[in-house]
Amino acid sequence: MSETEATHEPDQRVTTIGETSERVREEWTDYHFSGDAKLSIEDLDVYYGDEQALQGVSLDIPDESVTALIGPSGCGKSTFLRCLNRMNDRIKAARVDGSVTLEGTDVYGDGVNLVELRKRIGMVFQEPNPFPKSIRDNISYGPRKHGDLDTGLLARLLGRDDTGAERELVERALRRAALYDEVENRLDDNALGLSGGQQQRLCIARCLAVDPEVILMDEPASALDPIATAKIEDLIEELAEDYAVVVVTHNMQQAARISDQTAVFLTGGELVEYGDTDQIFENPQSQRVEDYVTGKFG
Amino acid sequence: MSNVTRNRLTGADSTTGELVSQVVLGTSVLAFVAAWLLLLQWVDETATLAGVPALQLLGGAVVLIGAGLTFVGVGSRLGYLDATPSSTAGVPVGFVFGLLWAILGGIAATLVLGDALSLWLPVATVFGVGGFLGSVLPREDVGSTVPLGTILALFGASVAFGGIDANWTWSPSWSAAVFPGSELVPVAVVFATLLGAWGGAKAKLGFGAEGRQAGAYYLVGSVVFAMLGVLALLVAFIVTNGLETVLTGTSLTGGHLTLPFVGLQVPWAEFPFLLNQTGGLFVEIPGVLPAVIGTLWLVFGAVLFAVPLGVGAAVFLTEYAERGRFTQVVEVATNGLWSTPSIVFGLFGLAFLVPRISGGNSIFVGQLVLGFMLLPLVLITCREAILAVPDKHRDASAALGVTKWQTIRSVVLPAAMPGTITGIILGVGRIAGETAPLLLVFGGSPYPSSSPNVIGSFEFGIEPPFVTNEALLSPASALPYQLYSTITAGVFPKEVFTNTEFGWGTALVLLLVVVGLYAIGVGSRLYFRRKLHHE
Repeated sequence: MSETEATHEPDQRVTTIGETSERVREEWTDYHFSGDAKLSIEDLDVYYGDEQALQGVSLDIPDESVTALIGPSGCGKSTFLRCLNRMNDRIKAARVDGSVTLEGTDVYGDGVNLVELRKRIGMVFQEPNPFPKSIRDNISYGPRKHGDLDTGLLARLLGRDDTGAERELVERALRRAALYDEVENRLDDNALGLSGGQQQRLCIARCLAVDPEVILMDEPASALDPIATAKIEDLIEELAEDYAVVVVTHNMQQAARISDQTAVFLTGGELVEYGDTDQIFENPQSQRVEDYVTGKFG
Repeated sequence: MSNVTRNRLTGADSTTGELVSQVVLGTSVLAFVAAWLLLLQWVDETATLAGVPALQLLGGAVVLIGAGLTFVGVGSRLGYLDATPSSTAGVPVGFVFGLLWAILGGIAATLVLGDALSLWLPVATVFGVGGFLGSVLPREDVGSTVPLGTILALFGASVAFGGIDANWTWSPSWSAAVFPGSELVPVAVVFATLLGAWGGAKAKLGFGAEGRQAGAYYLVGSVVFAMLGVLALLVAFIVTNGLETVLTGTSLTGGHLTLPFVGLQVPWAEFPFLLNQTGGLFVEIPGVLPAVIGTLWLVFGAVLFAVPLGVGAAVFLTEYAERGRFTQVVEVATNGLWSTPSIVFGLFGLAFLVPRISGGNSIFVGQLVLGFMLLPLVLITCREAILAVPDKHRDASAALGVTKWQTIRSVVLPAAMPGTITGIILGVGRIAGETAPLLLVFGGSPYPSSSPNVIGSFEFGIEPPFVTNEALLSPASALPYQLYSTITAGVFPKEVFTNTEFGWGTALVLLLVVVGLYAIGVGSRLYFRRKLHHE
């Protein structure tokens, strides 16, 4: 997804409507908040082959809040998101320069354990992608594979299985994702039988089950109908009480509704402005951002 | 848009055309079936109905079809029948009809002028071009009926009234073959009725787009049913020929079952053909048990050998190896291996494996050779199944911090399971009936007096090779191998059955074994599919 988005040619029309001369100023992306940054990104450049998808992006993401990343298609916001838990490693042509620090540890540093990194930084995708397994198996998949839950035959025979712990974990994760009441009686049914919105909440529950600290969401509601979208939005706001949530969206109303701070990416892979959500939408400093949020382009 | 034609939105009021087309269609289907019955000799060509010989009846039916088609076509052109024809029947129809007319012209010229090439070729060409133009130039309702109807009526009339009967023969001078009318006429009627059904179906819906759709439907439908009919015939033929042999000596209470521990004998069903040994002094009714056991061991060993290797290779090629020249070469090579003739595999086994492993024909080498044959199909189908697993599952798993191998094991392979099993079923069906390599590397006596006792023959030692199995390294018999021996040179040891009877019985059992293996495969595929989808 982000691959095609990033290699997309920059839209020439955008750069010719009178906002080309504007240079990004450092103070626009300077956002001060109380407390330490959960994630801090320093001078991040991403290339897909010869194409540069992100240009020197620097920003700090606070804990226990919702950070929205907005911008037109192809502006690199999904690419940026996928850099945070190194999902871009899975794309062979992608090259990343710069640093991403999670509470003081550089995630691109030597000897970083990808398993631990992705346990701490979870991800929810645009299209709901539950495994073709039962609802219960979807939730307990991560912990089982990490060896935190042992429900194998041998463990059961030895009487050392964690079936009780699994039941508890599944219930807790589903409740946290506001899905438990709807699926309580069919935990052993295939997850593909759920509706799109339910599947997406199941994916969020699956992500919560490995107990992350940061949750990345790549347009989590864009494939859903308005009612399912509203449920996901409520859920995101709730999750922000405990987690650092980073949401990519190209729905500006959604960003305004749910986020505490907003980062605006514009074509060319530049971070143009980053600040308090109210300030970005009501009083943007950059002319280009103003044009974008008021709907003049994008 | 002036060149757009408009037809009435509702169907035709008059039903005459529809009625005649219906008669044409019905007669075509009946004559089609009758011609097949004659061809397959289920009905003798001397049979009569109300005093009329079968071939003449067929000829009459074809005349009726031809006349009916011509009537509908002309009636529609003159405006007496409601129809919505296109402006032309189309070039493909023209080619087919042109070919028919060329054949008609050629035959007529040969009969009248003699069969020198310089005489009949010009006539055939003129007729062919005429048929082509006659089909393409007029409006569709005439073009797709009249050329066909005329030729059908001519052919039908010459059969019904022109003296072409069962004893008539055609012996062309360019060939030593003699074609009797009893064969030629039914074959020609099969094709004639296919075309007749096509034309009738087209006319029934008033030509045009709807008519073409109906014509194609009937044409494809009758061809498919004819093929299915031939397949059903094949199975029925084997069953009727083999059933008597297989059921010889069976009874529901004639046998004995010794109860374990108690030692009491109770009446039990008896199935000598399936459960008896083939040779041996005290066997009254020879059976196929050794061959069945041999076949099952072969299939089991081949699957055990090929499936882990094939699935492993598919995982490596799709998930680990970089797509490029190497994977392409492997792809082409596996496809080639799958189409390699089985006798070549057998020759390899004979020259390479036999001297190194058993020093003579053996079950184990047979399993390996059949395993080699199965391997490419397992690899190909498993690779396709893995490629069909959507990437979003892999992304989801990676985002949870799960390693690649765990993802393959827990998400990718389960999702690819139904496809892989389909491949294994197909492959097993092929190798279970494989004969050629078995002749070279596997077969011993085709009529053994005992079944291979593989499980009981394992011996363990403290010196290399630690495990030996005498039975695995000995030759045995398998169903296709036994069938081949019986029908070629076999001198069957017992007088209960003739060679032919025993052969048909073996063939039926082989068919049942293969169907049984299929059933196991289909069952497990359904099981995995149900687990993957909410059904």
